[in-house]
Amino acid sequence: MPPKGAKKAAAATANKTLVLDNGAYTIKAGIVSTGATPTYDDCRVVPNCIARSTRDKCTYVGSELDGCRDFGELAFRRPVEKGFIVNWEAEKAIWEHELMGEAAGAWWRCDPTETNLVLTEKPNCPKELQKNCDEVVFEQFEFAAYYRCVGATLNAYHAPTAASSLASQSLPQECLLIVDTSYSDTTILPLYNGKLLQSAVRRLTVGGKLLTNYLKELSSLRHYNMMEETYLLNEIKEAVSYVVPSSQQFARDLERTWKGRVGDRRELDASIVVDYVLPDYENAIHGHARPHDAAKSRMRRGLQPLQGPREDLLPLGNERFAVPELLFNPSDIGIQEAGIPGAVMESLSVLPEALKVGLLANVVVVGGNSLIAGFMERLETELRALVPVGYLLNVTRADDAVKHTWLGGARFASEQERLREVLVTKAEYDERGSTWLVKRFS
Amino acid sequence: MPHVEVLPNSAATVAPGWTYVVDTGYDPSKVAINPKNKKRAAAAAPGGQRAEDELSARQQTAIARRIAELERDNDPKQLITVPGKSSVPKTQNARRIIQYQRQIKHWLDDEEAQMGQAATTSRGSVSHAGGRGATQALRRQSTFASVPATPVEATPGPATMAQTPTRLDNTFAEDALLSIDQNLPPPLNSAELEALLAAPPLSYAASHAAPPPAGGPPQRQFCDNCGYWGQIKCRKCGARVCGMECKDAHEATRCLKWA
Repeated sequence: MPPKGAKKAAAATANKTLVLDNGAYTIKAGIVSTGATPTYDDCRVVPNCIARSTRDKCTYVGSELDGCRDFGELAFRRPVEKGFIVNWEAEKAIWEHELMGEAAGAWWRCDPTETNLVLTEKPNCPKELQKNCDEVVFEQFEFAAYYRCVGATLNAYHAPTAASSLASQSLPQECLLIVDTSYSDTTILPLYNGKLLQSAVRRLTVGGKLLTNYLKELSSLRHYNMMEETYLLNEIKEAVSYVVPSSQQFARDLERTWKGRVGDRRELDASIVVDYVLPDYENAIHGHARPHDAAKSRMRRGLQPLQGPREDLLPLGNERFAVPELLFNPSDIGIQEAGIPGAVMESLSVLPEALKVGLLANVVVVGGNSLIAGFMERLETELRALVPVGYLLNVTRADDAVKHTWLGGARFASEQERLREVLVTKAEYDERGSTWLVKRFS
Repeated sequence: MPHVEVLPNSAATVAPGWTYVVDTGYDPSKVAINPKNKKRAAAAAPGGQRAEDELSARQQTAIARRIAELERDNDPKQLITVPGKSSVPKTQNARRIIQYQRQIKHWLDDEEAQMGQAATTSRGSVSHAGGRGATQALRRQSTFASVPATPVEATPGPATMAQTPTRLDNTFAEDALLSIDQNLPPPLNSAELEALLAAPPLSYAASHAAPPPAGGPPQRQFCDNCGYWGQIKCRKCGARVCGMECKDAHEATRCLKWA
């Protein structure tokens, strides 16, 4: 409930709102005017990092990375750690560059003093960091008004079924279970009427970052030293990894990718094992995968004379499915947590029966990891096995897993009445201070 | 059945360094404190020999270090400066925040410490400690125990009890059979719901998912070198390998014996 004076003060708020989904890997940002109908096209996705190449001695801020021609040994500085904004020096530089500077272009550029800000955060953020964030938003950027919330809650403002005339009245959705499998970690967030059921929020350590680093470690151990090639390994992960449909299939695929013992060599299954042609950053800046060719790998090891064009191959066998398998079995590398389905059930176990039924009927998966082939099928099968037979289970992936939260936020921000209730203006902040603000937003 | 959990075994740690002790002559009961043969000491330690699937303290440290490495966001060794001339912070406070060089682990440690402090200062108040204990108990609860497995069991206990009299009152037995009331969960209790919505957020550390249930399948073991099933244990460090070939590679590169 906002304080009494809030309404009057907020009446003077600007009618342009910057919706900012500030992820650890990418920033999803766009300006929404009140009354407009936002679409995915209004959202811009920008890498949330400052990258430096030791080879060409260039530094790239945010979207400048698109112009980079040599991703070899590229080092990243990410202001967001574990999903929370930690390093404001870097974050300020990126925001100024992407949202207020020349890189933004006329469409996206905004003047903070005439714009409202809707900023998302991860759940369970330490209070000190929230306070820092509020202070920087008002004191450094001087936004006209500001609302900070857990990003997943904004997903409740999507219409449940498209083109339903009653949809706008029933918003926010009553029961919604968000599985957010993102770069930093995977979180399970049950929502009721757009509000987060805080005691049931669960988090898995495994996120896209951990998968990329794991693949980097495995490739470095088995083939070439690639510990500095984070960008490349992320690209490889996105290109080749897949989730096996079941643990029986996992065992079968592991068998088919095994090299065999000394004296009992097995032929690698070319339908699973691929050779990834590494980019040399002279002729090609991106690599590609192709089915495994045993002759090529013998050539590489010098057992057969070289033929054809010179190229560097990275053979990928069980890495293709053992890496994303961590989302479902974190204990494979010793992380003492249940997989995503187990965490969903654990989260629901603290909620009353009726809520459980509602939430399971409306599970929505957002976040980049859900784009890995086979992810949704595996999640649905494993959840179905854990959920009691009589319960309806509906698991869907958001139509755009990366921008879904942003669009929910944009829809939220386009309705003046709803937005006015939650916004805090700069004048209010100046009067009451940041400690009050942290309480207000929690 | 009581839940039996194997606690980490620290029997194999050998403390480094040295210390002054009062010399009281030869005392046979103290001889074992600083034995010459470390292997024998480990075997004779109070915890005794480790069980087959238990990890040594050294392995546990190695796993923890590896996970921390895998989920690290920024490399502290690589310093990337912000290019160009950055604008001047507008207030003293903003300058302070922008100049922080802390990492996420520092903030999380701070949060832990503050919660610890809050717990000790309010130890007197029973209600607070009780609430914390209760949430802890909830967190530790096994997921699968609380979720009924079959549709018959899916009806919560109290609801069935409440249904029984109505069914007896009902003169039309067919209707009772057709009734779906007993398959419906009890309606939402608004007070309970409000309490749930008003609950404060968990701390970052408390929000992590619980370990897999004790009755579940055992942890899968993989070859340290090639990723196939790890059927053989390295005798020197306890890591798993799949065969002789990988064992050689393991010993040449990753064996923890000398780590």
